[in-house]
Amino acid sequence: MSTLAIGLMYGGATLLVMFAGMPIAFALGAVATVFMIAFMPHGSVDTITQNVYEEMASITLLSIPLFILKGSAIGRSRAGLDLYGALHAWMHRVPGGLGIANVFACALFAAMAGSSPATCSAIGSAGIPEMRRRGYSGGFAAGIIASGGTLGILLPPSITMILYAVAAEQSLGRLFLAAIGPALLLVVLFAGYAMWRYRREYHAAKLAYEASGTHSELLRENKLTTRDKFALLPRVIPFVTLLTGVMIALYGGYATPSETAGLGAILALILIAVIYDVWRPRQLEPILVSTLKESTMLMFIIGMSLLYSYVMSYLHISQSTAEWIVSLHLSRWVLLAAILLMVIVLGFFLPPVSIILMTAPIILPPLRAAQFDLIWFGVVMTIVMEMGLIHPPVGLNLFVIKNIAPDIPLRDVMWGVVPFVALMIVAVLILCVFPEIATWFANLVMGV
Amino acid sequence: MSHGLPPAEAGGDGAPIPDAPAERVVAAINRVIVVLSSVALVLAGCVLTYSVVVRYFLKFSTDWQDEMSVFLIVGAVFMSAAAVQAQRDHIGIEAIVGLLPKRVNQWRMLLVDVASLAFCGYFAWKSATLLHEALVDDYHSSSTWGPPLWIPYSLMTAGMILLSVQLLLQVVADWHGREPRRPDIVV
Repeated sequence: MSTLAIGLMYGGATLLVMFAGMPIAFALGAVATVFMIAFMPHGSVDTITQNVYEEMASITLLSIPLFILKGSAIGRSRAGLDLYGALHAWMHRVPGGLGIANVFACALFAAMAGSSPATCSAIGSAGIPEMRRRGYSGGFAAGIIASGGTLGILLPPSITMILYAVAAEQSLGRLFLAAIGPALLLVVLFAGYAMWRYRREYHAAKLAYEASGTHSELLRENKLTTRDKFALLPRVIPFVTLLTGVMIALYGGYATPSETAGLGAILALILIAVIYDVWRPRQLEPILVSTLKESTMLMFIIGMSLLYSYVMSYLHISQSTAEWIVSLHLSRWVLLAAILLMVIVLGFFLPPVSIILMTAPIILPPLRAAQFDLIWFGVVMTIVMEMGLIHPPVGLNLFVIKNIAPDIPLRDVMWGVVPFVALMIVAVLILCVFPEIATWFANLVMGV
Repeated sequence: MSHGLPPAEAGGDGAPIPDAPAERVVAAINRVIVVLSSVALVLAGCVLTYSVVVRYFLKFSTDWQDEMSVFLIVGAVFMSAAAVQAQRDHIGIEAIVGLLPKRVNQWRMLLVDVASLAFCGYFAWKSATLLHEALVDDYHSSSTWGPPLWIPYSLMTAGMILLSVQLLLQVVADWHGREPRRPDIVV
């Protein structure tokens, strides 16, 4: 049977079992196993478990559960509320400062927790009610938090980045560093939009007040004393210290990525015990159980995705598809656009983890042939996958927002994120024109 | 994509469903495993923290820490797979589920669970074969520490067997047209 026929059957079978609702991990493993039995030498199927174990036993991949533990410990404590409170206190005088404080709080929290839904939930549960109390429209408030939360998969220690580094065989440290510039670019774009949109809503409220005397909370002056501002700092500083300490441990050469994950998780548990008095087994239980659930689900998908890719490679499906893409002689930007479009469509249905591991063997060789920097591409691909977190039908963050602010209609939430999706597209275009935004800092720290 | 229903919604139409003895036994095993796996995760974090401390402050060489944390985390992941499946938290694409009539959806669910059981059962059998080989031929890791590989392989085998049993219970429940109780894995 030709490689084309096998490849079509492989893809068709995968779509069939996945859309039938089979858990992604089992679906990938089952399709890979059936094709191993049908098309690979008899003995190869005997190594199936060894393959999965050896792929999963990578110490880099196993940093993921520990980063999840760190994120869960911080996410389920009051750290998000305190961080948000402090930023709000310090930025409330800036026009649109409340919205900007929410964007900054999301970015900082995402860097500490490494999870988009956790960031949305932690910052949004305080930020959305506060913004709405101050007269921000529901859609605008929801858009800020849903989009700010997506920074969790871009900023270090992003799990998506760890997987990309493994799949593309790139340096994880360099990839983490390369994501910082683009993340700051997104923060600036989001904050700029928040300020512009605030001014628009403020002027509309002012006109309404002058015309009909209707008073909006947007027009109310908010006064906080210097004492209020300083009172909030002691609870925030330890977490910001943890964030910087973990980065120093990683980039100062003191610890490997997995050791950084372990150190970060233990320090986060110690901090929540000392600052929030969360140390009793009953208090730690939800943190550990949620970590275990997410880790097991993710690690199974990762293990089976790697088996799936191995079979795809053994049967020459990935190589043939990559060669076919190269033979089309597309211009490099058309190639990039086509690949990113495919990532967006896959993002409708699949989590970033599966998208990376399933597509990497196919899309990376043509990109390499077109002389794209794979570190740069990893950052761009991650931003595109961030869009998947806030656009329907999956849009995980939309549902987190719906959960914490059930009275905002889903339609408003969806319209609220549209400008932010547009800003992400703008960020991708800026990165295409100025790739140094991603590569410069990584090259500076780690050498070219 | 779904993360499964929260435990509070278990039971489908809200009618109380008596637990089969096998379901109660597996739920009890899962509760113990969740506690042990949680401890294993924290221990893995402690081992890696210890590794950084002794290398940079006490200048000791580190040889067993990475592998020990791999064993702890791989063990925790495989052993808790059944507890995660009990709540149907292994995510899948459920885009078409809402479009299907209830009866068709029940058959879909049964087929999906049977296919999952077939795969996990096969994987469990292959894991057991690998474990047997590791014991008979005395496989060891190739690192300087060189621990025996039956340790992680036995955890993988036990975890996959338990996951298969959990799936079998769900297939039986599907066949009888009921959704088994999703025991909250909170201990």
